[in-house]
Amino acid sequence: MSRYRIPGMGRVDPAAPVSFTFDGRRYTGLRGDTVASALLANGVHLMGRSFKYHRPRGPISAGSEEPNALIGTSRGPGRFEPNTRATVQELRQGLVTESQNKWPRLSFDIGAVNDRAYMLFSAGFYYKTFMWPRSFWDKVYEPFIRAAAGLGKSPTEADPDTYASRYLHTDVLVVGGGAAGIAAALAAAQSGAKVTLVDENPEMGGALLSDPSVRIDGRGSWAWLADQLSQLRAAGVTLMTRTTAIGYYHQNMVGLVERLTDHLDQPPQDAPRERMWRVRARQVILAQGALEKPLVFDGNDRPGVMLAGAAQTYLNRYGVKVGDNAAVVTCHDSAYYAAFDLVDAGGRVAVIVDTRDQVRPDLADAARSRDIQLLTGHTVTATGGRLRISSIRVNPVRNGRVGSGRRISCDALLVSGGWTPSLHLFSHTKGSLTWDADSQTFLPRHKTEACQIAGAGRGLWGYAEVLADGVTAGMAAITEIGRSAVATSARVEGDRPGTGSSQKELPTDRSAGKARAFVDYQNDVTAKDIRLAVREGMRSIEHVKRYTTNGMATDQGKMSNINGLMIAADALGKEPPQVGLTTFRPPYTPTSFGAFAGYHRGATFELTRKTPIDPWAEAHGAVFEPVSLWRRAWYFPRPGEDMHQAVARECRATRASVGIFDASTLGKIEVAGPDAVEFMNRMYTNPWTKLPPGRCRYGLLLGEDGFIRDDGVIGRMSPDLFHVTTTTGGAARVLNMMEDYLQTEWPDLNVWLTSTTEQWATIALNGPNARKVLEPLVEGLDLSDAAFPHMSVAECSVAGLPARLFRLSFTGELGFEINVPARHGLTLWNALMESGKAYDICPYGTETMHVLRAEKGYIIVGQDTDGTVTPQDAGLGWAIGKAKADFVGKRSLSRPDIVDPNRKQLVGLLTEDGSRLEEGAQIVLDPNQDVPMKMAGHVTSSYASDALGRPIAMAVITGGHGRMGETVHIPMPQGTIRAQITSTNFYDPDGERLKA
Amino acid sequence: MTTHDHDFTAAPFLIEERPWSPRLSLRVRPQHRETLARSLGLDLPSRIGHRSVTDKTELLCLGPDEWLILVPAQGRDDLMAASAEAYAATPHSLCEISDRDITLRLSGPQALTALAAGCPRDLGSLPIGNAARTVFDSATVILWRDGQDSFRMDVWRSFLPHVRAILHKVKAELSSGL
Repeated sequence: MSRYRIPGMGRVDPAAPVSFTFDGRRYTGLRGDTVASALLANGVHLMGRSFKYHRPRGPISAGSEEPNALIGTSRGPGRFEPNTRATVQELRQGLVTESQNKWPRLSFDIGAVNDRAYMLFSAGFYYKTFMWPRSFWDKVYEPFIRAAAGLGKSPTEADPDTYASRYLHTDVLVVGGGAAGIAAALAAAQSGAKVTLVDENPEMGGALLSDPSVRIDGRGSWAWLADQLSQLRAAGVTLMTRTTAIGYYHQNMVGLVERLTDHLDQPPQDAPRERMWRVRARQVILAQGALEKPLVFDGNDRPGVMLAGAAQTYLNRYGVKVGDNAAVVTCHDSAYYAAFDLVDAGGRVAVIVDTRDQVRPDLADAARSRDIQLLTGHTVTATGGRLRISSIRVNPVRNGRVGSGRRISCDALLVSGGWTPSLHLFSHTKGSLTWDADSQTFLPRHKTEACQIAGAGRGLWGYAEVLADGVTAGMAAITEIGRSAVATSARVEGDRPGTGSSQKELPTDRSAGKARAFVDYQNDVTAKDIRLAVREGMRSIEHVKRYTTNGMATDQGKMSNINGLMIAADALGKEPPQVGLTTFRPPYTPTSFGAFAGYHRGATFELTRKTPIDPWAEAHGAVFEPVSLWRRAWYFPRPGEDMHQAVARECRATRASVGIFDASTLGKIEVAGPDAVEFMNRMYTNPWTKLPPGRCRYGLLLGEDGFIRDDGVIGRMSPDLFHVTTTTGGAARVLNMMEDYLQTEWPDLNVWLTSTTEQWATIALNGPNARKVLEPLVEGLDLSDAAFPHMSVAECSVAGLPARLFRLSFTGELGFEINVPARHGLTLWNALMESGKAYDICPYGTETMHVLRAEKGYIIVGQDTDGTVTPQDAGLGWAIGKAKADFVGKRSLSRPDIVDPNRKQLVGLLTEDGSRLEEGAQIVLDPNQDVPMKMAGHVTSSYASDALGRPIAMAVITGGHGRMGETVHIPMPQGTIRAQITSTNFYDPDGERLKA
Repeated sequence: MTTHDHDFTAAPFLIEERPWSPRLSLRVRPQHRETLARSLGLDLPSRIGHRSVTDKTELLCLGPDEWLILVPAQGRDDLMAASAEAYAATPHSLCEISDRDITLRLSGPQALTALAAGCPRDLGSLPIGNAARTVFDSATVILWRDGQDSFRMDVWRSFLPHVRAILHKVKAELSSGL
């Protein structure tokens, strides 16, 4: 048995030793221990070095609010985690732990020189020190700040664990499994409601686990607890332990993180490490309890200094004495019970120092009967010791005057500055708070969500009161959802009621300016820092917080916020509510990235859409590129080819004979109904009325602002049916836009839209031999130029498959697009490849498609347009049906700024030196201007063109259409490139090849 | 290409891909629902999420003017012909989407739990026999509840690999017992 373990006490299993290491040394704890309780059982209080001053630190709490005992933990290869709270991490066999922020070792840390220079590192240190010279910022200051920022080592290996997600719907969600939460859950469950009770600890019970002497309904609290839990189970309540409610979102959505395997010696195969629950509850009951505050005095961070409630928890829950000879300093009654429990368990408490002048007589008597010296109206002004507390300095305070001090030896100091109701989740809902002057704390006031708040979380104290309040909250919740039950009550004996006063930093007879009196342990913020911030002009607590970093660590100031506020308010001479409270934000406690990512990692990181022909492309060595959610074949390199060579070959083969391209990702929308043509007239710029069935047309879609949104070829299948194609990335957006107009602007139109993007697999055949490849496979259609001219569409059979066949071209060559039901896409592809063998058919990817279309000056929406390009700007004025009464965007096209001849207009560019321009490069008209030069536009597309034997580019340039033949300049790091403005139609400008 | 996962061990749930069958989207104004239903010989339910089944034809109401029709292969052409005949008198849209979606069947004691991994709806309260258009992870799906522990999920073809991959992760997770 470890030196500080008391046999027969605690909820740990003495028959189940668990071995672990801390900084390389082997220790033994018990099943049920945390790392902190196991180390304390072995007499180890020193667990880390503080962030800024490298001061030795030990655990100050026994729970998730711990700011000090942050350690590195390793649960095996790849499973290292920094900043694990030793007070939360349960022991498991072979757990490897290490202290942080120390060098060369924990007991002797060079970084502790910062502590001696502490006067330098005062509030606003960064703002004052890293101001000037400006030139130091990039090379000196920022690297220094980055190196100093953050505690612990980031993991370097990929996380081998998996994480899960789940949704849950429940009538009542109770957050916090202490006395109030259990009473609330049971009351609610008795109505037949579906109830879920969650608690962040490994077992339910909350403070009851640390108060075994209290008797409820004639039984010890632990027996009562066990009975309540079995009643909850019998009532069908879902009980979730190791589950933290991290955030409270709109409409009663609460995020929970359940820790599933960190405590297990041997996690089952494939078990996720954590699971994120997204809970939608009709009613939420917040029973989160209260967090104990430390007191602020010189040396209040020395290992061995600990919250009184934490010492009580280590004793009763883990059977661990935090010292042999403890002292207590408090301003709240609750610390007395911690002292009494310690003495009753065979420990010694040298003194209780109470800052209050008056103490409840029964507490004073109980202290006396245990031989505890009681010093009321006293203060603590210093602590002695280095790596562990060895004494305190105690002074009387009379009428605000601090008398002379004396030393009292101790090896542990239990402190209590009172309790703060845990309002974090309530604060997430933007519920308002009210300052309670009696208890000197904030309490919940106006609620914005369907929630109840019960117990110590709303400032109540003592089990009788808290249990009754839990029942009340449970009843209120079920009443709200239209259920009912009979309220019960519990009888409490040996209750531990209490009150306290609230403190700023404790009075001292020494220089307050030199006191290392910590308010925020995790960020090393002292009372002096907060007073300095106020002296330097910070008035709001939000400014004090950011100037001092008080409450900005990962614990979000669970211990420091109220103490910091009390000191700031005192310095400002204002009441605390006038100074304000900072906002709590999710998550309540630090949460792993894995829990947020859930299943979204590796192959399922992001949804990837693949076409029916994708397997062929993969098997034939395609290089892929992402296009919106799709992955598309980019190019098909042959052995030894780089991208440039492959694309040049694909372009050449297509223009010389025939190329085949998977266009299945194109968006497709079926527009059907008696008003289909009217709808098309109103949506697209083009006129549709006279387009006969069997023909297709290039369609241009604008927004109300007159700028190009989308384009595509649209076929009229019958008088009342259009087959619309959209860009790959625009498919969903265009359908939404159309539905929006249909439902809100033109509900009178008899027309219906159906997304058919995935109904069809689409294959494009382009090149002078395209007809020869296709013709043998087509039945029921004459493919000759006379019978089926450019921009025709027909239903027919291709390779025995029902098809919608378009004759159109995005390459400038004779082209066809064949649509077949998607499940046959691969069959058609193979048939075309077979038929095309005689013509050396060449599969090509999106890059070749881009080059071929650029050679013809066909735009790509989103590349050559950026949401500020009109049809005229893009040279597509011909696509506007000028005789039409209206279409989306029509009115905007006559706005003065839209008809301005100096708008940026799309033109071609040919470089004088034959170099290929960089897409996005800026263009200037006069290269001899002073810097910064006036930009006249930028390059939107640029490719090496095999057909032209030189690079080509497209660009938007101010007044570009009126500058044909002019020279512009593209300043690049290597020098300025000269280029001539040309038409964008670089290749076969008369379109002879289309008519083949 | 149709693949089937047959897992005869004590798996938490089974994932099976259903074979291809005709599937059509029917759109008509609510006031013409009954007339069109008579013309097409269909029982078009009027409440969203409700379905009717006659002669192996399943009809699901997805919106006030939208129905999904699952029809046996031999009935498809008759339905298209009836639609064309009724069109002039009762304008509507009947669009074939047989290849747009692929259907999975999820069944087994933890099928509902598996769906809760990716679907934010309260599927426990979805009545047996009803269906709902909803999402699973990043994909829009239609979920049909055929029994307490038996569901069909219609997924757009290109979203299926992702949905399947997530379901396989969930299956491994549930098999772990945690």
